[in-house]
Order: sequence, then structure tokens, then C-alpha cells
Amino acid sequence: MTMRMTRRQLVQRGAAGATLLSLPNLLAACGGGGGGGGGGELADTLRFSNWPLYIDFDEKTKQHPTLDEFTAKTGIKVDYFEDINSNAEYFGKIQRPLSQGNSIDRDIIVLTDNERFLGLMIDKGWVEELDKDLIPNISNLIDAQKSPPFDPDRTYSLPWQSGMTGIAWNEKETGPVTSITQLFEDPKLKGKVTALNGMGDTPPLVMLDNGDDPASVTDATWTAAIDRIQAAVDSGQIRRFTGNDYAQPLSQGDLAAAIAWSGDIYQLLSSNPSLRWALPTKGGVIWTDNMIIPTGGSAPTASTFMNFVYDPKIAAQIAAYVAYVPPVKGTQEILAKTDPKMASSELVFPSDATLANAHQFDSKALNNQTYVEQWQKVLGA
Amino acid sequence: MSFLHRHKGLTPYLLLLPGIVWLMLFFVAPLGFLGYQSLQTGTFDTGYTFDWAFSNYWDAISDYHEQFVRSFVYAGIATILALLVSYPLVYWIAFRAGRWKNVCLILIVAPLFVTYLVRTLAWLNILADEGPVVGFLRDIHVLGPDGRLLATSVAVVAGITYNFLPFMALPVYVSLEQIDARLLEAAEDLYASKRQAFLRVTLPLSAPGIVAGTLLTFIPAAGDFINAQLLGTPNQYMVGNVIQSKFLDVLDYPSAAALSFILMALILVGLLGYARAVGTERLTG
Amino acid sequence: MRWVKRHLLPAYAVLAFCYLLLPIAVVIAFSFNAPSGRFNYVWEGFTLDNWVNWDAPPGIQSAVVKSLEIGMLSTILATALGTLLALAIVRHQFRGRGATNMLIFLPMSTPEIVLGASLLTLFLNRQVVTGFGTIFIAHVMFIVSYVVVTVKARLIDFDRHLEEAAMDLGANEWVTFRKVTLPLLAPAILSAALLGFALSIDDFVITYFVSGPTQTFPLFVWGAARVAVPPQVNVVASAIFLVAVLIMIGNVIWGLRGRRAREESMPPAVPLPEQLHQPEAA
Repeated sequence: MTMRMTRRQLVQRGAAGATLLSLPNLLAACGGGGGGGGGGELADTLRFSNWPLYIDFDEKTKQHPTLDEFTAKTGIKVDYFEDINSNAEYFGKIQRPLSQGNSIDRDIIVLTDNERFLGLMIDKGWVEELDKDLIPNISNLIDAQKSPPFDPDRTYSLPWQSGMTGIAWNEKETGPVTSITQLFEDPKLKGKVTALNGMGDTPPLVMLDNGDDPASVTDATWTAAIDRIQAAVDSGQIRRFTGNDYAQPLSQGDLAAAIAWSGDIYQLLSSNPSLRWALPTKGGVIWTDNMIIPTGGSAPTASTFMNFVYDPKIAAQIAAYVAYVPPVKGTQEILAKTDPKMASSELVFPSDATLANAHQFDSKALNNQTYVEQWQKVLGA
Repeated sequence: MSFLHRHKGLTPYLLLLPGIVWLMLFFVAPLGFLGYQSLQTGTFDTGYTFDWAFSNYWDAISDYHEQFVRSFVYAGIATILALLVSYPLVYWIAFRAGRWKNVCLILIVAPLFVTYLVRTLAWLNILADEGPVVGFLRDIHVLGPDGRLLATSVAVVAGITYNFLPFMALPVYVSLEQIDARLLEAAEDLYASKRQAFLRVTLPLSAPGIVAGTLLTFIPAAGDFINAQLLGTPNQYMVGNVIQSKFLDVLDYPSAAALSFILMALILVGLLGYARAVGTERLTG
Repeated sequence: MRWVKRHLLPAYAVLAFCYLLLPIAVVIAFSFNAPSGRFNYVWEGFTLDNWVNWDAPPGIQSAVVKSLEIGMLSTILATALGTLLALAIVRHQFRGRGATNMLIFLPMSTPEIVLGASLLTLFLNRQVVTGFGTIFIAHVMFIVSYVVVTVKARLIDFDRHLEEAAMDLGANEWVTFRKVTLPLLAPAILSAALLGFALSIDDFVITYFVSGPTQTFPLFVWGAARVAVPPQVNVVASAIFLVAVLIMIGNVIWGLRGRRAREESMPPAVPLPEQLHQPEAA
């Protein structure tokens, strides 16, 4: 579409755009609201902050093939930063300038939807709108992701990669662990079980086990879940709460089972074939790392990039390296030709049945201050 | 040099100037902002307003006194353990290691050059439930048949001790190293036993180092959070963890700030008490 | 019994070193592991590949270089500032001495998360661009206290007679400081510098807040840990450890060689008594 313009035109437009973008006026105009986006001009550089090891990387050339191909196709350079290592810490770092309406010098950042910060940024208007005219490939977005609760029309965000939260177990230590009830109450597992410290990971799994809907949380369903988790902590059933540091104890047999992320287990499998992972039979969580454009970012440039990575060929390239659940239709077929093992893995390409059993957590609940404090209390703070 | 001769009184201020300026600019100023924050009210959603909200402090103490006590207990135990473990070691280095002293010092400090996460993963490996250490402890019945070391208070205190050991060892070494061996010879010539020579000569002379080491260990350990986070359960959480949580997850900045100031104040009060106990010359010279 | 007593202390020293270095041995061992996945938790096979391709993970090389640069620079400045502060506090009476002494302990007692965030706010308000420079500033700030406390431990019982003797022999204050005070303080300054470097090279929380786009080694490790612990992390960590130890060992050997060379090249200054009293051979 807009790619039809000559390279020279693009570079010229990009240069003009960059000059405009550097004027304080423009920043003030774009700041503090979701409207419009940065000036309508393509910048000559895309500033992209992402999680580490979350985009393809060629060890021989020491380059990121996807980024190089993007530059080759559009002439836009990419400044790629791998400085997001936790939603909370990254938010803690950027909240101050954003709260004052200032730019953080990024066009795309990636935050997870089962933590409060993504929804918070959108609610507070600290994001720019996507320029959907520049993202025709948005039609490739898988149906399950088309209308998330925190951004029902996909005005501000697009998925980067997804993952699932379920239960992992070590076959050498225990038989299959298929439910939260088993995890929290089976005396054979006492003290050999961990739960994730994410508010959007453990509570929704417990709610599903209680028969409640995690997509619309009420005080009653929340309290029921919290009480159950607290009981499992008090009884010593749950050894501790973890981030992804369950991986080593699970591998070495300190743990029999853990609430765990699908992507980790995929990576651990080759070293430790006795590990298993599944969504609990009563349901698990699917979470998504979303690309958003923070205040002051260039919406056209960011949108152009998003369109690029929603091409199934590019998506397959990224998925092959990253091994999380890609949000782009058609990726599985392309990947089947180069990496059939991954293409047939439930962990990377969950079947429809699995997807039907994977739920998203109520984003309003994530920002409910009372719930947040109660959850932190369970964690010990 | 004659300028300084004529203005002798200026010397201390000139010596102080660069360090104090640095600390003023990059520590005291941010701390001022933190103090301002601690007296605000509001939530992230509604915004914060400055309100002389001393209630933040009161709430912090009443809600989290358990974690405060626990932090000081863990830090205290870790400090004592660090002293007991490192004193004989640095004694040997100071008096017996000869020209290999510096190599030994490096061997004590260099583990800190290895990133904390990597060191701790190694400990997770060593202290695994099915590993040799726990197995041995189970065999000699120190641990029950299902006992474990990880995810307990023992693990957290051991983690703090290990990670702060060099901060105890090196200052003690600094003090021991300067003791003239002839003083000990003189003591023995005067019919002191080895034990008496140690208690009446070496130990007192190493007191400044012990004081320095305990301060460099206890003070940062009291605010530590990472050992409890990686090695502990919710029952081991310290004040540092609460502050992390308030700042990062609950987004309650005034609370986090108030908790931090209370921690600092308690440490200062402790310092004053400590100074009185050991004699202020040991702290200031 | 005598034998046991004599060897008790060295035996203890060996045990203590084993305790200190055991995890490091594991780290080094796992740097030779050949994991088939992204995590390095299970031993799968020996390989030298990680050491050869130590910079395979993206960003690890520049992160290490930055960490070492910041470590050395901030340690040097902080050691200098801290030593001056220690000298002032211990050797001079001045107004505000007590307060200064207490001020020194405050940075150590402030939780890093609020200190880092407040420092970042300060930088933002003053429109200071965050990056290498701000990391350097922050590191010097929190290292200074440790230097002051460590050097003070040496200064407090410092025997001033040697300095007085030097000055009696005609040295002025600056020469005395350079040739008597500093050498005697050297172990303390070295210890303080080692601790400072350790603090800098392993700092995560404050560095995370004020780093801007710059990546240091701890930031890299903690960032990557969500999806991987590449064995190259063990390689780099082991390498830093081993190089530090080797430098110290090299120092000792060089000192030994220097001393022997000096002893061999100098004729005896004074004739030995035997030479004076030997009758000349006929």
C-alpha cells in the first residue's frame, strides 16, 4: 500500500518526519492523549523496546534477521532495546515521564496483558492509537485475540507473542497433575509444589477450578480464590511463590509440580524429557505480550512495523526462534516446512480445544487496588 | 603547601568537599524528593497530593512491624555468623599467608564479581532436596526424612550471610593486618598464653575492623529483599520485599517512601546505640 | 594434640575457602555444559564451545564491557573521594563531624528501589539523559560509604609516630602523605576498592532505573533469565572471577621476581664481618 512509494520518497519523508518529531511542540501536541499519533509522518528510525531473546537472532551474523529485513524493505532503521525484563520494573521506570505527558523515546514497547500495567497505560491515555490504515495484515490476527477486554477494538495494541499458564509436573516425581484441587490438596505433593506470583496467573486458575469465570471477577469469586490459595500456603502445601525460577527446582526434582508457563517448559523439555505441561482440565490462562505505542511514539512508523511482523512468513521466522504462541494466522503451516517438531507442539500451537480452555483474566480486576493489596499480602508483603 | 599551613583549619573542609558535594547532589537531593513523596496521599489512579500525611508512617509501622522485626533479626544473625566465619579466616590470612595475602583477599571478594543470580542458582543446585548436602543432613538426622534447606528461613539467612561475608571479612582484615606481630611476641615474652595474647592484644586491636565489618554487613542486610525473594516463602519476607511490592506492584509510592524512611531511622537509632556501646571513638576515631 | 592445634587454623582456612568458592566451582563447571535448551540447569555434556563462542548471546559482549568500564571508573573515583572523607573524619575536628559521620551510613541503609527511582526522578527533572554517565554517578554515590567505613577502620588506630618521624627527618606534609601514609593505608584502600568494584559490577536495582538504553551485565542476566540462562553467562562470570584472581597471583609473582632481581644485582653495601677479620691469604 504505502510501500509503493520509492525509497527516496520514503527517506525524504522520514527525514522530514524526524525533524518535526524532535520539536517540543509536536511532543506537547501528541502527549497525554490517545489521539492522532505522532504527526502522521514516518520517522527514519523505529525505537523498539522488547523483552530479551524475544525476536529472532542469527548467531553467525549477530543480527536480527527480521529487523534487517524490515529496514531493507522500508528504509526505516530499527533501534532495538532489550530493556524490559519485568512489567512492574519497566513500568516503575517509565511511569514518571509518562505521567507528566512526556515521551519516553520509544515507538513500540511490549507489555503483558495479565498484569495491571498494560491496562493501566491504556486507561490513563499514555498510549497512541494505532494507524490501522497502515496495518492491513491485522486481518491475520487470530480470532481469539481480536477483542481483548482491555482494548476491545484493538485501537491501541496488537499481540506480539502469547503464552499459556498451566500446570507443569515432573513425571519422575508424580503422575499427571491435572487440577488445582490436586495441586493444592494432594498430600503426596505437599511442600513440593509452587505457584506463580503473578496476580493474573494463579488466582484465575483457582477461580476456574472453583467453577467461576476469571473474565469477570466479583468480590465473592475473588475472595474464594484468595482464601483457597492462602490455605494452601498456610498448610505448607505450596512451597513458595515464584517468577520463572520454578524452572531449576522442577528440573532437579525439588518440585513435583508447579504452576508454570508453556514457553519455559518447551525450552526445558530437551534437557529434561520427564517434564510435562498441560492446562488444568477445568481451564487455564492465555496471556499475551502486546505491542503498544507509548506517548510521543510515532504511530505511523510503529504501525508499519506491526504490519510487517503480521506477515505469516515473518511471524514464522520469529516463532521459530522464540517458541511462544504466535498470534498470526498461517504461521503454523509455514513453520511446518522448516521446523515440523515445533509446528506440531501443543505448547507453541495449541489446538482449538486447548484454546477453548484457555481464558483471559478480567483486566479491571488487575487494577482493583483492594485486590492488588490482598494478593500482595498472600505473597508475604 | 604554605597555603594549607596558613589555613590549617581549611584542610578538613577541602578533604570533605568533593565527597560531600557528590553525596549532596546525588543522594540527599533524591532523598528530599523521597521525603516529599512519603507525606503524600492518594492513589495511582487519582493522583498524589502533598498532605503532611504522617499517617503514612504510622500505618507503615503498624501494618509491617512483623517484617521490620524479622529483617533486623535476619540481618543480626547473618552479621554474627559472618563475623564468626570470617574472623578466623582473615586472622590466618593476616598473620600466616605472607605474600599471598592479596590473593587470598581476592578469593574472598571475587565471588561477588559473579552475578548474584548465577551464584544463587549454583546454591540452588548444591542445596537441592535430592542433592548431597541435604542428603547428608538427613542421614545424620539434622533434617527430617522429608526435610529441606531451600525455601526456609535457614536458606534466607544463609543466603544473606554468604552474600555479605566479604563485607565483614575485608574490614576485619584491614584492622588485623596492621597489628605489629612484635606486640604479640612482647605479650608472650611477658608470660601471656596464646589465648590471653589473643584476647588482650589482638582482639581489642581488631575492634575498629569488627565494628566496621558489622556495620557494612548489618546495614545493607536489613534492607535486603532478593534473598528472601529467591530463597524464601511468604513467611520469610522482609521489609525490603514490602517496599519492592509497594513501589512496583501496588504503586503506592508514599507508602514505599515512608517504609524506607522508617527503616533508615531505625538503623540510625541502632547506630547511635551501637556507638554508645562500643565507644564513639570506634566509629569516628 | 600439638599437631592438631598447629594445623587447626590453616585447616579452618581451607574449609572456609571451600565454602566461599563452592558455588563458584559449580558456576565454572556449568560453563562447560552443553545444554540442549535455553536453560542451563541440567548437566548434559562437556563442551568448550561456550568459551569459544562466549559472545553468542546478543548483547552480552557490550554488557560485559560496559560493566567493567563502569566498575573500574566508579571504583577509582569513589575510592578517592571516600579516602579523603575518611581522612577528614578521623584526623580532623570540625563542625558537623558527627553529622557527616552519620550521613555516610545513610546511602547504605536506603533501599535501592526507592533510591533508584528518586535518583531517576532527579535526572528527569534536570533533563539529564540517562545512560553510561548516570550509571557512573549512581555507582560512585553508593560506593563512597563503603570506602569511608573500610578506610576508617585502618585510620582509627593508625600509628602516627611514623609520620611524625618522617616529618622530623625533613619531609613536608605532602611527601609524608605520599611516602608514609599512603603506603601504610594501601591494604585498606585496596580492600575498599575491591568491595567497591564488587558492588558496582553486581548492582541491579539502581542501575536498572538510571541506565536508560545502556545495558550492563547484571541487567543482561536478569533480563535474559525470564527465557534463558545461557551458559555463556557462566563463562563471562567465571572469566571475570579467574582474571581477577590471576591478576593478583601475577602481582605476587612479579613482586617476587623483582625482589630477587634487586637482591642479585646489588653488591653488599657493607663488608661482611667475616671479610673484615679474615687475614689476607698469603
